[in-house]
Amino acid sequence: MIQKLPAKKMVVTGDYAAAYGALLCDVDVVAAYPITPQTLIVEEFSNFVNDGITDAEFIMVESEHSAMSACIAAQAAGARTYTATASQGLALMHEMLFIASALRLPIVMPVVNRTVAAPIGIWCEHNDSMPQRDTGWIQMACEDNQEVLDMIIMAYKIGERKDVLLPVMPCLDAFILSHTVEPVDAPSSDEVADFIGKYEPHAMLDPDNPMAIGTFTPPEYIQELRYQNHVAMENAKKAIKEVTKEFADEFGRDYHGLIEEYKCDDAEVVLITVGTVTGTAREVVDKLRQQGKKVGLIKLRFYRPFPREELRSIAENVEAIGVYDRAISYGSGGPLFIETRNALYGMDVPVLNFLAGLGGRDVVTGDVEKMYEILMKAKDSKPDKEIYWIGTRGVSI
Amino acid sequence: MYEIRFHGRGGQGGRMAAEAYALAAFLEGSYAVSFPFFGAERRGAPVRAFTRVDDKKIRIKTQVYEPDYVVVLDETLIETEDVLEGLKEDGMVIINTAKKPEEVRLSKPVKCATVDATSIALEILGRPITNTAILGAIAKATGRVSIDSIEKAIIEKFGARLGKEAGEKNAKAARVAYEKTLVGVAQGGKAFVPRKKWLPTVEEMPIGGATPAMETDAGLVGIGSFIENKTGDWRTFMPIIDKEKCIGCKFCWFYCPEGCISMEDGKASVDYDYCKGCGICANECPVNAIEMKREVRT
Ligand code: SF4
Ligand code: SF4
Repeated sequence: MIQKLPAKKMVVTGDYAAAYGALLCDVDVVAAYPITPQTLIVEEFSNFVNDGITDAEFIMVESEHSAMSACIAAQAAGARTYTATASQGLALMHEMLFIASALRLPIVMPVVNRTVAAPIGIWCEHNDSMPQRDTGWIQMACEDNQEVLDMIIMAYKIGERKDVLLPVMPCLDAFILSHTVEPVDAPSSDEVADFIGKYEPHAMLDPDNPMAIGTFTPPEYIQELRYQNHVAMENAKKAIKEVTKEFADEFGRDYHGLIEEYKCDDAEVVLITVGTVTGTAREVVDKLRQQGKKVGLIKLRFYRPFPREELRSIAENVEAIGVYDRAISYGSGGPLFIETRNALYGMDVPVLNFLAGLGGRDVVTGDVEKMYEILMKAKDSKPDKEIYWIGTRGVSI
Repeated sequence: MYEIRFHGRGGQGGRMAAEAYALAAFLEGSYAVSFPFFGAERRGAPVRAFTRVDDKKIRIKTQVYEPDYVVVLDETLIETEDVLEGLKEDGMVIINTAKKPEEVRLSKPVKCATVDATSIALEILGRPITNTAILGAIAKATGRVSIDSIEKAIIEKFGARLGKEAGEKNAKAARVAYEKTLVGVAQGGKAFVPRKKWLPTVEEMPIGGATPAMETDAGLVGIGSFIENKTGDWRTFMPIIDKEKCIGCKFCWFYCPEGCISMEDGKASVDYDYCKGCGICANECPVNAIEMKREVRT
């Protein structure tokens, strides 16, 4: 239970917004291990517990692997749970992520995207969350701190839906959000409670009603379970659209479902962005529009489930598509690029990949302008390559 | 090509037998493959292993469904399942039992070889590990490989793992079994209620596989299957607790991997419905109050 919290305007970091979101959702159990730049989330939440604002069980564990294990067990016992991690910590959790999704436990875990060593860096890169693609979690990326808070709330509502029952991983860029303060509107705890409702587990560890969960399962059964998870992830598409709509109706902020289109209506070329670069790219689009260039932007919010249908319908009306990635799958391309091209299979539109901001390098407006410049060229003449390493010394574009 | 299916229990070495047989065939110039299929990975659980032998490279990777030979390392298995399932028309079954082939009852009359591999193993090896003795019986019953090749394969395979002396002892067990194997015809007519399997569709499958005690037309599943599957019949040795000696320290209770020891009036007591006879309790008891006794089944 939490104390009643009135709606308020705050000027807070992304990490604080993530912690406050969990508080508003009245989570029962938080198990976490600190890692920069996620540390503030855990610290802030432990303060809420210490100050008696919530009576949530706060478990200090010895590693991220244990954090996820504790959340899995608590969620399986019927609790609403929460944790947060980043980078190497997420890598250490990898094994347990599969268990959370296969047992259909709607845990919510913000990931503060930080570069995975080596070499050691604490800044933003998406090479921690992208490799979790196949673990069965709903994965999404936030653009600003308001979206972080709102997304934690929506994450519980989406994940706990009976037709979904999947864990959710909202991602926020290291430092660019995690340690940046900006104004955030927080709804009241009553409003949030009404919006997300009570968590009703589909199955629960209860000594009075014993149940086997996650036991040794021979080949006769596992394939059907895999299919169930696939269906649940497909169902999540509908759930995400409905929940973002309900959220807009209730709180007045519309996130448009799996993607948000920005000035795409008459666009000749569009750039798909993820995370905080989206905000910067909006500025660039406005500028280029003033110059009369027909450019648009797609903010990719969800990576899993992937918005295949949405992208295909946009691709029908544009002449070139760029995909911005803050991670690289060596020997292939950026993860979102690979995914987008797969979604657009059979369509006759060039798709280019822009890599920038790896290791936390700042992605500046000039970088984004460069991307649009290349796209405008690609619309007129066939490009001679697909992958562009923007701002990489010694690599020509 | 001919195919063999081995039926045993985890820990009895069925897989090693299947591999050693493949090696024997290989030593005679054949191409041979062998692989196990485990159920629940535990000592005592039913395990199958397969061997294929041909004079050319074997490419097929499936399990064996229509074997030429069936080998049963554990007699108790012929009571609980129809080991002849899928056996070819003129196929043969080789069983570890003290009975004569004519005394064995199976689902249909079938060529059958028997040998008391357990007694041979206990006598020569001092342990009821029958996987080498049974190989001698296969050589005798099928005539597909020579007992000399079987011995060579055993010495190579088991000798490498257990030392030269153990390798030779195991080879001897095979030789003795070879000489004692009886070949005849088993009786048919034993009825097996085909075990119904619970095979839920995606719709029927509980979400996330979380199963309470669930009634299905194949019996209880999930937590309920533990109630129905009395795993005590996997035992070869039975723990007998001397209540006089027992000091009630609970070591056995703590160490039993099956959770089948309970304390009654301060003394340990075994639930024989589920005890698999692993002997861990006897090993842990500080006052030797537990004795493992060979269990004779009728
Ligand atoms: S032999 Fe002892 S330890 Fe092993 S299952 Fe039986 S009671 Fe438990
Ligand atoms: S370990 Fe031996 S003495 Fe201790 S409770 Fe068990 S049987 Fe009794």
